[in-house]
Amino acid sequence: MTPPFTRRTALGALAGAGAASALPSLGGRALAAPSGQIVVGTWGGDYQNLQQAHIADPLMKPMGVQVVFDTGNDTVRKTKLMAERRLPRGSLDLAALTASGSYEMWKNGALEEIDETKVPNLRNALPQLKTKYSAPHIYTGRVILYNPKLVRTPPTSYADLWAPENAGKVGVIDIQYQTTIESAALVNGGALNDYEPGKAKLLELKNAGVKIYPTNEAMAQALKTEEVAVCIMWRARGVQWRAAGIPVEIVYPKEGVVLYVSELAVPKNARNKEAAYAYLNALLDPRPQAAFARSFGYTPTVANATVDPDVAPQVEFTPELRSRFMLQDQEYLAKNDAQLQEWWNKVFKA
Amino acid sequence: MVRSGLTAAGLLAPASAVVAVGLVLPLVLLFRYSLNRFVPGQFMVEALTAENYVRFAADPYYLAILRTTILMAVGVTLVCLVLAFPVAMVLARARGRWKTVLLLAVVLPLFVGNAVRAAGWMVAFGQRGVVGSLMEAAQLPPVTLMYTPFAVFVGILSVNLPFVVLTLSSVLEGIDERASEAALSLGATPAAAWRLVTLPLSLPGVLAAGVLCFILTMNAYATPVLLGGPRFRMMAPTVAGEVLQQSNWPFGAAISFVLMAVTLALTAGANILVARRHRG
Repeated sequence: MTPPFTRRTALGALAGAGAASALPSLGGRALAAPSGQIVVGTWGGDYQNLQQAHIADPLMKPMGVQVVFDTGNDTVRKTKLMAERRLPRGSLDLAALTASGSYEMWKNGALEEIDETKVPNLRNALPQLKTKYSAPHIYTGRVILYNPKLVRTPPTSYADLWAPENAGKVGVIDIQYQTTIESAALVNGGALNDYEPGKAKLLELKNAGVKIYPTNEAMAQALKTEEVAVCIMWRARGVQWRAAGIPVEIVYPKEGVVLYVSELAVPKNARNKEAAYAYLNALLDPRPQAAFARSFGYTPTVANATVDPDVAPQVEFTPELRSRFMLQDQEYLAKNDAQLQEWWNKVFKA
Repeated sequence: MVRSGLTAAGLLAPASAVVAVGLVLPLVLLFRYSLNRFVPGQFMVEALTAENYVRFAADPYYLAILRTTILMAVGVTLVCLVLAFPVAMVLARARGRWKTVLLLAVVLPLFVGNAVRAAGWMVAFGQRGVVGSLMEAAQLPPVTLMYTPFAVFVGILSVNLPFVVLTLSSVLEGIDERASEAALSLGATPAAAWRLVTLPLSLPGVLAAGVLCFILTMNAYATPVLLGGPRFRMMAPTVAGEVLQQSNWPFGAAISFVLMAVTLALTAGANILVARRHRG
């Protein structure tokens, strides 16, 4: 039996024979339809596994698009995008980035402006999360986590981390330097475009005996062993940790809920843009969005995703909370992140 | 003559090409980067400036990192040599099946990657770790081991020890045992025979093993990151931090070159010192 003669094998045969003149006979539509392989630069672990299970396998494969993941941290991905920026063809077709990361890459001319006609699901995306250069994938908000056994008065504001009764019970995370300085700034006369007042405030916390952990996972461990009773964290992590039996309650600080958005963007020099757009569209499909919410604790970015009722209270934001959403000032961060990190390393951690 | 010269050149060419493409070219490129300027939000801006090197040399923060790294490397090297020497002597003198077993025992830890071993130490040193539990059981006061320079020291020591043992033992094997036997027959105590005969004869091996251990520690990355915690700083993690977290390639490149230059200078210095001693 001979294998079925499909459009893809036909294209392959044509390309192999170098019969370029025969291509137009296939019609313009066939050439524009997504096909072939795409490389998606993404964080590993569950984030990648869920993309494989809910996007790559059920949605992309039937289209004839093969998805290859290039796993790594966003900092590495940014470096790659910058290093390849001037090449005609890059190694990534899509890059998963934080909101700050994609803004920085866009400013440096590494990203394509999104053609919304090719990503119809973008019309369902929450307007405040949309940008010209990326598709919002999942989001969450920054909260305070506390252990009710060790902290008697539930905190209501970031300022409560400085309350005398919490001295020595507060932990911060090394890689969250930016958001930690920002939270401190918000209770010391600063704003999302001025983190400077946060520095003095953090030094007070340091004098009160703050504990510093290298990663989010190390913080989870410290909360579990009750080395630490209060910390600043993303709500989605709080939801994951509660599910893992870590004794924490979630509080929305009265200063506002600053958002974390995980985005995907198309590099200007992507090799297979058609398929990359198709992937972006699949990313915003209500089904994978609901799956991510259930397994990951992050909130869907599209209005038409229905989250199962048992998970909804943990992953959805009430209208009241939505009214308190705050977005980081990416322009400020792009200019100040390096100096904030330097201060954190040299002064705060010294 | 010409023919054999050509053959030698032919044989050397592939290796030289690999070194040139894989090592020299990237180093040249990195050096060029180190002269560029970092502008926040724009990454690397083409320039020809020494400001990255000046910044390193003028900032006590970075100098302290360099000092910590050198102290750690010297400390680990000295302790490694002291611990490894007796093991290497036993290994060099062992015969038959016993030797195979000993050799295997030394080599086996190398089968486990650097980071995995550091993860093992994390389990041992953690707040509720093996060491902590043992101390608690023995009713000793708790000590913090995790995220201390001591944890890094022990971690790097355990990584480097097999390399030092193997290097030393291969040199010790080459020393004629009859030399130290002659000393003993002439009335030297075993300690004197070791000090006056074995040690001087093994000095080139001690130097080789020490240099290897020193270079490995100067460039240690996984162990300081995993066991040292957020407040402990060494050079290699600082390079990675500049390049990967801050995307500051120029400064990261400059720190790499400082690290490389200091390592080379100290290694060359030790070489000259030992060579002089050896001759004298």
